[in-house]
Order: sequence, then C-alpha cells, then structure tokens
Amino acid sequence: MGQSLRVADLVVKSRSGRPLLTVPSLAADPGALIGIRGPSGAGKSTLLFAISGLLERVEGSVTWDETEILALPIEQRTAFRAAHMGMIFQDLLLFEELSADQNAGVVSLFGQPSRRGKVNEQGGAHLAALGLSDTARSVVSYSGGERQRVAIARALASDPKILLADEPTASLDRANADRLIDDLTGLVRAVGKTMIVVSHDALLLKRMDRVLTIRDGQIAADEVPA
Amino acid sequence: MRNWWDGIPALVQDLLLSGLFLLPLIGLGVVLLRRFAPWPLVRGILWRFRWPNVLFVLLIAISVGMGIGLIAQERGLRQGTAQAADKFDMVISAPGSELTMMLAAVFLQPTDVPMVDGPTYADIANHDRIAFAAPIGFGDSYAGHPIVGTIADFISHLTESGVEGRVWEQSGEAVVGALVRLEIGDRFEPAHGIGFTAEVGGHDGEELVVVGRMPRTGSPWDKAILIPIETVWEVHGLPNGHPFEEQGQIGPPFDPAYFPGTPAVIVRAESLAATYALRTEFTRENETMAFFPGTVLANLYSVMGDIRQAMSLMSIVTQVLVAISVLLGLFILSRLFQRQVAMLRALGAPRRFVMAVVWLYGVVLLGVGTALGLVFGLIAAAVLSLIVTQRTGVLVTASLGWGEVHLALAFLSVTALLSLLPALVVLRQPIAENLR
Repeated sequence: MGQSLRVADLVVKSRSGRPLLTVPSLAADPGALIGIRGPSGAGKSTLLFAISGLLERVEGSVTWDETEILALPIEQRTAFRAAHMGMIFQDLLLFEELSADQNAGVVSLFGQPSRRGKVNEQGGAHLAALGLSDTARSVVSYSGGERQRVAIARALASDPKILLADEPTASLDRANADRLIDDLTGLVRAVGKTMIVVSHDALLLKRMDRVLTIRDGQIAADEVPA
Repeated sequence: MRNWWDGIPALVQDLLLSGLFLLPLIGLGVVLLRRFAPWPLVRGILWRFRWPNVLFVLLIAISVGMGIGLIAQERGLRQGTAQAADKFDMVISAPGSELTMMLAAVFLQPTDVPMVDGPTYADIANHDRIAFAAPIGFGDSYAGHPIVGTIADFISHLTESGVEGRVWEQSGEAVVGALVRLEIGDRFEPAHGIGFTAEVGGHDGEELVVVGRMPRTGSPWDKAILIPIETVWEVHGLPNGHPFEEQGQIGPPFDPAYFPGTPAVIVRAESLAATYALRTEFTRENETMAFFPGTVLANLYSVMGDIRQAMSLMSIVTQVLVAISVLLGLFILSRLFQRQVAMLRALGAPRRFVMAVVWLYGVVLLGVGTALGLVFGLIAAAVLSLIVTQRTGVLVTASLGWGEVHLALAFLSVTALLSLLPALVVLRQPIAENLR
C-alpha cells in the first residue's frame, strides 16, 4: 500500500478565534484525485492551505504516511512541503523575473544541490509534455493558458507525492481549460500522484475520483462524480 | 604580534586589512548562500526593478565617491605642497610670521613684510657654510603671472635639468615657468602689483624679453616669470645692488651700500648639518628669522590633521546616512517582492534561502555602488586636483590610496550586515495572506 493523506478534526480559526473551516475526517488514498467545490468564501482554498501547513491558527491533524504535518516546526514543515507537495496557486504566482524553464525549476534553487539538475530536467520535461516550447522566454510574454502550464510544470518538477491545485482553470477560456484538464489529469495519473483540486469547473470535477462540497466551512457532501 | 605586524611589507598589511574588512561580508555570504543557488532569482529581481536599482547604485556611488574624493584630495594636496617646498631648504627673512613668509617665498603669495637689509644679506651670502643665498623680490606681474626677481643660481637649483633656451645674462631678460603662456623671444611689459590690484602700464617702457623656460617643477614657480633681482629694483627706481661702475653686473656679489632690501633670502647650505647650525645662527631677535619651510608645512599639516579627521568623520557620517537611506530603500523594495517571498515559502524555500535572496540583492547594489563610488571618488579628486593645480601651480595628483579602499570596504561590510534587516522583516509576514 502506498502513502496516503489523512485529515482528522481539522479546525481553522480566524484571528478572533472564530472557526472558518471544520473537517472532522478526510482521507485520500494513494493516486486519488479529489475535487473540492463550493461557493466563494466557503473555505476551499483554506483547506488546501491548511493541508500544506501554510496557516497558523489550525487545530487537528494532517498526516502524510507517518508524518504529522501540523506538528512539525515551521522550518521542517517547509522542508516537508518542498519534498512532498506540489502547489498550483489560484493566481498562478509565477516569478515574472524568470523564464518559463527557470520558473519550472525554481525549487532547484533551494533544493539539494545533488538534485538540482534532475529537478530542472523534470521541469523541462513537464513543460515539453504540456506542449510548451521556447521556454527560455520570460513568462511575462506567455498567454494565460501557457502560464497555467508553467505553474503545473513547476508543481510537478520536484516529483512531489501530493499535488494541491487551486482553481487551475479559472483564468482560461473553455478550449484552453479543456486542454489543460486533459494535460493535468493525464500527467497526474501517469505519474501516480495524489491530487486535491479546488475548482468551480464542472468538467474538471467530473474527471476526479471524488468530489467534496464545502459550504460555510463544513464538508456538505462527498460524492463520486457521475 | 606588534613586531610581526610591523615586520611585514606595507602591501601585505594593506591586503590583510582589506581581507579583514571583507571578512564579515564573506562570512555572512558563506553562511547564507551555502548549498543554495539564488543568483538567477536575484538577477531577475535586479532586472525587474532596474530603475530603482540604478538610482540606489548612483546614490551609494555618489556618497562613497564624495567621501573618498575628499580624503584623496586632501592627501594629494599635502603631497603636492610638500613637493613644492622640497627645493626650499631654508628661508631667512625679517622676524615675523613663518607661515606668512613661507607662503610668500615658497608659494608666491606675497604680503607686505619687512625687508632684510644689505649688510644682513651680505652676512648671509658670505657665510662659508652657505652654497648660495638667493634674494627674492616681487610686486609686479604679467597677465596674472607673478614676476619674481632672484639670481641665476636659484634657477639652476630649481631646475636640475636646466632650462630651455638660456638663463638671463643681462637686466631685462626673463625666464618663464613651465605654465606661463609666453614663448622664448616674446616681449612684454610688467604690470605694477599682482592680482586684481595690478596696475597695467605701471611700468611703461620697461620691456622684458623671454630668453628661457623652466621645466615643470610642480610648484607655484611654474606660473612665475623670473627676472634678475636687479631688474626688479631698477624698474622701481631703486639702486640695483651694484655700485655705479659695476652697473652691467648681474647677480652676486651685491654691494650692501646699494642693496635696497629683500623680503626673504632662500638659502642652500653646504650640508644638511650646516642647515641646522645656520638656522640657529640666523635666528636673531629683532634682526632675522630663519626657518625650514618643511617644518612650517609639517606644523600646518598637524593642524590639517585635525581637519582631516573631521573630514573623515564627515565622510563616515555621510556614508552612514546613505546606508540608512539604502536600508530604507531595501525595505521598500522588499515590500514589492513580498509576494515572491510568500511564493518561495509556499513552495518550500527555507528561511535562509529567502534571506539569501534579499541579502544578495542588497549586496549587489551596495557592491556595485561602492565600486562605482571608488571610480567617482577618483574622478572627483582628479577634477579638484586639476582646479587646485591650475589656480595655485602646486602640482596636486589625486590617487586612490589603501585608506580609501579600506573605507569603502568597511562601508560595504557594515551595510551588507545591515541588509539582513529587510530580509528578517519580510520573513515575518504571514505567507498565506500574501499569496491571496
């Protein structure tokens, strides 16, 4: 059996102590693709940030295999993220100072020197697999769809076990979104990652193994898409 | 330890000091950058914010340049004046201010001073331990150039390689300094007085002819026109130092009875030991004063030493102020890439990497600014030297000394340490909030 993600009694609070998100239990088996949907402000992105250990006022546990992520000190949590998690942000958050291939391999800048070449190589390979060429150009000159692909390549470059994606098709037109859905799900299934995707895109969610609906900070439904 | 330090060559000392000043910078760099490769990101940020960066670099360069330029200029001025006074072993004059007399005799800035009379001059000139005693006489000028009366031996002493053309052989002939815009064979009439008060036409009919040109001496004498002392006396209607039957004679010996007086006598002794004995001998109350221009300059430098310290302090204060400005600028810029920092942290970058990026960015700006500042300083000092040389004739050469390099390196090291502060502040920002 491979590694799995387990969330238990997770409560994310605001500065004032008000609960923003409550997840009593959530499990993702190895290679599972989980979609999360819900109205704006329901707590979808908050769940992704909580799982990745980026939030401060969080109770409960998030476990990957034997590692209790939330119990790790900040720097170890950061190192865990670098080693095991790939993230695709809602606003893409690419480094506009860098080219596409530099963005794809940006994790190599602070990763282990011995793995630097491999990360860059994988970043380049993912860019190519996603149909991007001429990757030495600055990402500023790329279209929205191309930038989205660079963000996916970056998330996968360090060969993470878990991929967390926040609205990966939000800024794309239908045609580009469809192509990206094919590319993303195809690539993730091909390399056997566990993926949690926050999205409003019904076509994307249809391709998931399970879809959770979050409403008012609670999981309101957990379904297998038809 | 002290003996060991004193025993090593000066260059090695300076290199070791440079290394010492750079040690905090290098140490911090090694600690922060070890196993990381932040340069592509730093290079990207440098390019993205290129105009604010250029502004910062210029700000640093100008501040460092001003400090270094002032210090280099002060040293150049000291060396230049010392070199200008080098040929003046001893000056004997009527009692008064040594500084005033040195400025008059060595740097050709005459003021009204009492005269050394004929018998006293004869006493000096005939002394058996004196090689030559050159009387000097001034008060006239031509086109801003002071006209100085003296004897031919003094010209030979000033110009070891000899003059272009020849030294004067009769009254009315002149030898010009290297910077005087007159050619050999040119004729001119002296004006009475010097500077703004010079009275053109004050010596109508007293035409002088240029017969020689001195090589560059690096002293105000390069801007002077030298003529026989007899000519100075004659154009002022005074006896010319010689009895009537020897009217054609130029140069010593002078007859005390026909010697109108000289403000100062420049003395060359037979030996160094003799110079000290002569100073004692000719330091006579109410009669003469003998002094070494070098000693007067040294006293002046000791006063200037305080000024130099004040200048150095001012330079350091300026640089500290600029360092604070740069720091504030880095704070502002680091706010601009706050999101990038949050992205890096979210992607798993350790704190040390984020600090390495912000720190390296600051150090590149500071390093380029400091290096450019050294160049600016050199240029500023060279321009100032040129102005001083043109105005005074004292050859001031600006060069970059190890002191300036050490100052720049110390500035770089301190500000590089301070550059950690913006990085620390950026790291305190919540990651998730900056990602949204």
